[in-house]
Amino acid sequence: MSKSEKLTSPQLQIPQNSAIFAKGLNFTYNVKSNFAKHALVDVDLSVAKGEFVAIVGHTGSGKTTFVQHLNALIRVQSGCLNVLGHDLSARKPDLKALRQQVGMVFQYPEYQLFADTVLADVCFGLKNFGIDKDKREQMAKEALELVGLDFNKIKDKSPFDLSGGEKRRVALAGVLAMKPQILVMDEPTAGLDPRGKTEVLTLVRRLNEQEGVTVLMVSHDMNEVYENADRVLVFRDGSVVYDLPPRELFRLEEEIEAMNLEVPAMAAFCNELERQGYRIPDKCKTVDEVFDAVMALKEARDV
Amino acid sequence: MFRDVTFGQYYPGSSFVHRMDARVKLVLTLLFLVGIFFVQSFVVFGFVAVLLLAIIFISRVPLRSVLKSIKGIIVLLILTAILNVFFTKGADTAEQPLWSWSPWNGFSVEIYVNGLKTAGKIFLRLVLLVMGSSVLTLTTTPVDLTHAVESLLKPLKLIKFPVHEFALIMSLTLSFIPSLIDETDRIIRAQKARGADFDTGGLVKRAKAFVPILIPLLVGGFRRAEELANAMNSRCYEGATKRTCMRVMKLSWRDFVASFLVVAFFTGVFVLYGMRNQWNFITWLYY
Repeated sequence: MSKSEKLTSPQLQIPQNSAIFAKGLNFTYNVKSNFAKHALVDVDLSVAKGEFVAIVGHTGSGKTTFVQHLNALIRVQSGCLNVLGHDLSARKPDLKALRQQVGMVFQYPEYQLFADTVLADVCFGLKNFGIDKDKREQMAKEALELVGLDFNKIKDKSPFDLSGGEKRRVALAGVLAMKPQILVMDEPTAGLDPRGKTEVLTLVRRLNEQEGVTVLMVSHDMNEVYENADRVLVFRDGSVVYDLPPRELFRLEEEIEAMNLEVPAMAAFCNELERQGYRIPDKCKTVDEVFDAVMALKEARDV
Repeated sequence: MFRDVTFGQYYPGSSFVHRMDARVKLVLTLLFLVGIFFVQSFVVFGFVAVLLLAIIFISRVPLRSVLKSIKGIIVLLILTAILNVFFTKGADTAEQPLWSWSPWNGFSVEIYVNGLKTAGKIFLRLVLLVMGSSVLTLTTTPVDLTHAVESLLKPLKLIKFPVHEFALIMSLTLSFIPSLIDETDRIIRAQKARGADFDTGGLVKRAKAFVPILIPLLVGGFRRAEELANAMNSRCYEGATKRTCMRVMKLSWRDFVASFLVVAFFTGVFVLYGMRNQWNFITWLYY
């Protein structure tokens, strides 16, 4: 799509209650050179407010490129993108307001820590968005407690003296302190131990369920995708090839494996049961839920 | 943001120049860099330029990639040229200014033909210097280059200079540049996402805005260094003792041909320079 076309295209109908709405989004790295790489090809998608969406796909499938569009770290080249009412294809979107509403947690977010104290680091974003000093501390406190850290104990420590898991949580708090309406996370659990993973995911789910935060999570761990997401977007070669609830997506075992993705253990288990003629309800995804469902089936048969 | 760093960028190829021994290329490049300072006249600069263009042509590196290296010093180039135009006096007191302007008594701006000439020569000298050295880095991989340095510095071992360690530091530095650029990019994005603003405000504010980038970068640098040291230790790295090279550098006919031509050319340049008092009646060689 050329630039003139983009400007003259009729106003898109953006569905109500939409957090993210993309239509015909394209992006090419190194446009002018021989190394041009089409990272996004005609991406159409829409995420409603309050959804928990997982983005999966092979390395180089365009997921990170897409995610970086969401708070204008990468500017729209062609197509339309609307995030919480901000038209990102406009020449000058209100970046400050946008970035305050869209919190972005990068891979290994602990590598962005820089300040002398944990408090100062968590306040960095708040300060940039022009929040008053007294209010900042309160918000930082809430965020640190949200991620399960003891505010009084940790606030004056240097972020570099903390353990890996604590650093990650401080970095998370630095994003959450801004109270974003959309939380975008690029592999938030990479490099964490199983307990750390569960903690982060529980926190994200709580934000999603209790505070109504829209969550977009890029992940390579299909098990965590399966258990947490309401919907999964599969990227391949820059396009969204599947947009399905996790249970339905992972029924397509052959297609998933053809894309070098892995079928989560519980999904494989349920798929096998279904082939044998037992039907497990779609909402049962964790080991415990599936166990209960199997027991219920057993009881029903025994009766 | 930092994507257009050309320093050390290798342009793959298998031309005559690419296949030359890195040591020879390094020495010839040094000769070239020194030689340029002995060039006196525009005509000889023309010869040097033709030589350089010929080398670039033989190396099959697109001229555009070589010219890109100038982009980085363009401000320096223009500034030096301008200063020279205004501050160079006439060749002798008899020379009349080409143009002069005296806004008040005791102060005047004058431009002499000599000034223009000096500026032009300095401009050419810098351009050729940068282009010449970028031909070396464009046609030689950083690994070969460090091997070359190590090999050429070997005599210094006699005075207990740690040649191998020096070469290792150099190659590590070079190989860390791309990953540091990546990391910088990533940190900038992360801080931007937290509302950091690098493009507005006064000088002090902008300088301060870099703290959130520099500190994580520094910390990351130390982290990487430590990881690398551990990785090397766990592979039993113990410095120069009994290490051999996978690729042994050998001189070939190419190196002799190239050396002969380049050395001959600059011998000419040095002779011209040495005879500047005897031969200065051949004006096109000297002015």
